[in-house]
Amino acid sequence: MYNFDASVIIEAMPVLIAGIKITLFISVISAICAFVIGLITVFLRTMGTKPFKFIAVSYVEIIRNTPLLIQLYFVYKALPAFGLMLPPIWCGILALSIYTGAFISEVLRAGINSVASEQYQASISLGLSKFQTFRLVIFPQAIRIIIPPLGSQFINVIKNSSLVSFISVTDLFYSIYKGAVDGFRFFEFFITGALIYMLLTGVIALLTNIFENLFRIQGRTAKA
Amino acid sequence: MHWIDIPENFGFLMKGLLITLKLALISTSGSLIIGVVLGILRHSRLFLISWLAVAYIESVRSIPLILFIVFIHFGALPYLTGEPSSFFDSACIALIIFNSAYIAEIIRSGLNSVEKGHIDAAKSLGLNRIQRLTYIILPLAVSRMTPALVSQFISLIKDTSLASTIGLIELTRSGEIIYERTYHETEILIFIAFVYFLICFGLSKLSILLETKPYMCTENKEPVGANQ
Repeated sequence: MYNFDASVIIEAMPVLIAGIKITLFISVISAICAFVIGLITVFLRTMGTKPFKFIAVSYVEIIRNTPLLIQLYFVYKALPAFGLMLPPIWCGILALSIYTGAFISEVLRAGINSVASEQYQASISLGLSKFQTFRLVIFPQAIRIIIPPLGSQFINVIKNSSLVSFISVTDLFYSIYKGAVDGFRFFEFFITGALIYMLLTGVIALLTNIFENLFRIQGRTAKA
Repeated sequence: MHWIDIPENFGFLMKGLLITLKLALISTSGSLIIGVVLGILRHSRLFLISWLAVAYIESVRSIPLILFIVFIHFGALPYLTGEPSSFFDSACIALIIFNSAYIAEIIRSGLNSVEKGHIDAAKSLGLNRIQRLTYIILPLAVSRMTPALVSQFISLIKDTSLASTIGLIELTRSGEIIYERTYHETEILIFIAFVYFLICFGLSKLSILLETKPYMCTENKEPVGANQ
């Protein structure tokens, strides 16, 4: 029988906490950047002129259809050849933001498409500019509808941030892995790591629920 | 630029691609079977069974895939079998465990999307449980689940690149082996990304072509959206 030894976890606690800090740092910054990127992309895609639309669509399709690991390696190993040298942690943040930005822009687009097109026509005929229409009419309605899928994208950021350990960032996954291979304590560290990740993602899920209820408008439901 | 690396190592890269596709196909079929079982168990009337299914789905969905791959390969499989596990088997098992939870969610939402009116109508026509499932619920649910299942398959193909981290020589790892020797990372990485893009983008376009209109769909979908 496998002898389960919880004391190795307690010994490794400082390393794990340092890992959690880095994971949270990467996740929070990439989530914010990804949201901004997604917002710009979706604005260009829905309101922009033809060339902008083409750029936005090809960005989304290319990023969504290639693995994150390849993008991380590309930012970390290939960009220095073009003269852009970043510290590993910022490479991770850059790749994660670009990757998640594409997914968030798809989520935002679904939300925008669910706002009735009559409102768009009405606000144009009221004399609002395209940007005003987006900012004042479409976006406030769309953002309420897409809070749950947006939350799941933020959960994905936390999960995907574990991949930055392959470009030599000492994040949570790295500290779990290091603890496990140092003393061959795989089961203890796997369970601890799983619990920590579940806790982090659980907090986001809870926040999503709270925000969804907070911003709900009485009597208005999302169109299927 | 050193694009010559790619034709020189084309055979090696394609061997890697073959393993990627094999891994993707085997783990898709495995996770489809387990996912369907889980999706049905979630609907079980026994509280304990449905609760266990929910616990499995929710916990797997909140843990990164890489944790599964690494710990199944280095921890669980060697401990259970008593000998070093093969790269392919552990990657396959990890992908099946991870994806079955997602597929179970897709199955559940597909089954839930069938309107109660259809089921009531079928009941009043005298169809029994099996007939309702095969003639009414499944045709509607399957046609609604297809796009989500295809996109899950696409994300599985992308996720197979994580098997390179434990050393399985699939597409990503074979590219790594080449550029660790030649130091021409840019060309190889662009080529690999292009191959993944071709497969995934092709599949997503194919799924739009294959998307069947449900023949008993009563909801009228009006085209909405600011860009239409």
